[in-house]
Amino acid sequence: MDPATATGTRRNVPPTAAESALLSDLHGVLGDDGLKTSVLSRATYRRDASFLNADPLAIALPRTREELAAVLRACRDHGVPYTPRAAGTGLAGGATPTGVAGVRPLVISVARMDRLLELDVANRRAHVEPGLVNARLGRAAAAEGLRFAPDPASQIAATLGGNVATNAGGIHVLTYGVMSQHVLAVELMDTDGEVHLLDGRLPEQAGLDLRGVSVGGEGTLGIVIGAWLRLLPAPPAVGTLLAGFDTLEAAAATVGALVTSDRLPDAVELMDARAIALVEDYAQAGYPTDAAAVLLLEYEGLSAGVSAGVDTAERLATEHGATEVVRAADADQRARIWKGRKAVAGAIAKTAPDFFLQDVVVPRSRLGEMLDAVVAISEREDLVILTVVHAGDGNLPPFVLFDRREEGVLDRVFAAGHDIVTTALALDGTLTGEHGVGIEKRDFLSQIYTADDLAVQQAVRRAIEPSGLANPDKVLPTTVGCLEASMVPEGAWV
Amino acid sequence: MSDATTMTTDLAPIVETIEAARAARGRLVIRGGGSVVDRLPLTDAEVLSTAELTGVVDHRPEDLVITVRAGTPVEELSALLATHGQECPIEPLAGHGSTVGGRLATALAGPRQLQAGRVRDWVLRVRLVTADARVVTAGGVTVKDVTGYDLCRLATGSWGTLGVIAEVTLKLRPIPTASAWFTSERPASLVLADLYRPAAVVSTGEGTFVRLEEHPDDVVAQAAAVGLRSADPPTLPTTARAAVDPGRLAELTSWAQAAGIPHAGFAGVGVCLLDGDPDALAAAGARAAELGGSLLVLDAGATTLPMRPPPVDPMTERVRAALDPQQIMFDVRQPR
Ligand SMILES: Cc1cc2nc3c(=O)[nH]c(=O)nc-3n(C[C@H](O)[C@H](O)[C@H](O)COP(=O)(O)OP(=O)(O)OC[C@H]3O[C@@H](n4cnc5c(N)ncnc54)[C@H](O)[C@@H]3O)c2cc1C
Repeated sequence: MDPATATGTRRNVPPTAAESALLSDLHGVLGDDGLKTSVLSRATYRRDASFLNADPLAIALPRTREELAAVLRACRDHGVPYTPRAAGTGLAGGATPTGVAGVRPLVISVARMDRLLELDVANRRAHVEPGLVNARLGRAAAAEGLRFAPDPASQIAATLGGNVATNAGGIHVLTYGVMSQHVLAVELMDTDGEVHLLDGRLPEQAGLDLRGVSVGGEGTLGIVIGAWLRLLPAPPAVGTLLAGFDTLEAAAATVGALVTSDRLPDAVELMDARAIALVEDYAQAGYPTDAAAVLLLEYEGLSAGVSAGVDTAERLATEHGATEVVRAADADQRARIWKGRKAVAGAIAKTAPDFFLQDVVVPRSRLGEMLDAVVAISEREDLVILTVVHAGDGNLPPFVLFDRREEGVLDRVFAAGHDIVTTALALDGTLTGEHGVGIEKRDFLSQIYTADDLAVQQAVRRAIEPSGLANPDKVLPTTVGCLEASMVPEGAWV
Repeated sequence: MSDATTMTTDLAPIVETIEAARAARGRLVIRGGGSVVDRLPLTDAEVLSTAELTGVVDHRPEDLVITVRAGTPVEELSALLATHGQECPIEPLAGHGSTVGGRLATALAGPRQLQAGRVRDWVLRVRLVTADARVVTAGGVTVKDVTGYDLCRLATGSWGTLGVIAEVTLKLRPIPTASAWFTSERPASLVLADLYRPAAVVSTGEGTFVRLEEHPDDVVAQAAAVGLRSADPPTLPTTARAAVDPGRLAELTSWAQAAGIPHAGFAGVGVCLLDGDPDALAAAGARAAELGGSLLVLDAGATTLPMRPPPVDPMTERVRAALDPQQIMFDVRQPR
């Protein structure tokens, strides 16, 4: 996507007859409080946490299933597409209101449908509305000695509906798996306002796993209005280790050794020297500032297994040349070690006005090569790229830092992003490990999948969402170029 | 680093069989090892076998992934992985000969599903020959991948209705350092609540059986804390299986206990294996249905099956119709 060809904003375009008719129907359902049409509101909903942006027709904020169903039926009746949205922390432009063929979509926010409907402690599961924030479920579960495993770094803001819709990851994916593994059932509302319970409570013999397809559907299959989520008992013991290394290779080699040891760590995060310097400055987590890389490791479970795991990790790190190894002695020290990792986004915000994030995954054994390539790309494009890696999963989101006011910088940012993706693909990796395709990676899909693969994906999508109005131009490449999004951050060059 | 010779995948015979069936408007039933299909009554559908489709395509122990052809027996896969200290905990079903493709297609639960998760959670990539004769791939070889819709999970548990699962990439993990079976007189639900993430808890007529898999010291400590005694693994019935909400399993197992029906309920999972004559199974099916569940009878001798399949959402029908417009793939679970 070339910024030069992107269309500008459509702020002053008056609504068409169909749009006006829809808005008047919606107003009848939602009133002033639940329907936002002003320039200011529309500006707020132009984008998610990526910098792809577009002008929506309006924003609907239903509070109940009945209101939502009426909103969807109105979209159907007037043939207006809609873009589901929750907290807007998505990083792939999934919630960016791009339209089709010049029609601006309605943003449907589920943020006000945010109740914890049931916490079934005996059966360790929770029934939630989509707008419930991830961390709120975490707190409610913790009060009962339970935990909700998926812990994306954005968990204090991102919603469970958004986590379902993106199949979110987090820090504990290596042993606990991604979001899908923790979703027992999804309630999906289609464009007719009908609710489908996808996968009920039966462990086998049911119909097709449409639950599994709807997880990661990125708003293109309908609206997730509820989910049954699996809770786990809180681990009785936790062991945390911080290891510093002189080289990125040594840290990557340690990861390889850990993954093939007799007990998998539950979390393995790697941060490079630039990331260390940035967070130390901001959060004082106690990382060795002279190290080329640090590994943050965590083991959870029963006490003997946890201490054996931490012992093994300490030995393997030392064997691979760790210059410093710190075992967290207590909960405070553990919190401090993680503080640095969790402060990455905040530290970046303080340092550079903008960042562009990739989300590639490579097989773990190719991690060292991928890290080297990122360093080379950063030098070539003369950009600061921070590397913070879910190393146990081979999933690296390199943060490309920049200032949009610098002329020509976007070309270099896009070039770097492109090279990161093509390098990962060449290493047998893939485009996105947890952020999703959205519009940002949509046109890369044909590099991974054949025309037949994509045709089957499209057939499944149409079978689940026949109206074609749900987040229409996301996820799958379209044959006709009808992109209405602007790759240019708003406010650039003004 | 690959453990076996990499053979060129030749899916042409499968594509041809499917095309012929489409042309003749015939019906196909896919047979892996036969551990399930052979125990269902015969149909007039032509059998499409994956028996020739065997072997490891690529094993990367350092990446914790393996790619195998669908006809590879699960036991062969487990033996190979064990030489590397690894496993993929998709348990073979009771009896022998289940294939990796068959395990995925049926996604039937084993007792270890409690801790290890469902079959679908171990599948990273699937190569599928669809019922409209297209060879397609979904997913990738990395442990995390949200590129496009998750058709791996769609194929898992599809019972052959979408096409032939031809090749599978699975996620692996290290074999637990220690594991053992125990028994207890206490009800399964209480034992389950007192243990930290046990590998399996099985409720039978002879009491509650527990499998612990972790560090040897933790196995000993947990068993002592809950008063478990060492035991042999439980014997598992093979004739039928009921699936219910795990929260209602105890109602089914206590019913089976009172009725004197041999059973093994997987606590926290919601599956109960059962043995019995057609009358007993019919009663079990009715009980499962009352609890909102279903019953699958695996007995070739049963002429009229007291099957109680769960209702199918219209979306499922639409997805099947999209991939199998001529309905050539026969769902072996259909009552007939
Ligand atoms: C600082 C930061 C750190 C992050 N860290 C992580 C991380 O560690 N792991 C990770 O996986 N992600 C991470 N993300 C990305 C993001 O937080 C996740 O993708 C999250 O799941 C999005 O949730 P949301 O509520 O913000 O959804 P939104 O951004 O509002 O929407 C995301 C997508 O889901 C769709 N959608 C939302 N709600 C619904 C619904 N109810 N029904 C149907 N479709 C819906 C939207 O259309 C869109 O396509 C991070 C983002 C930021 C800004």
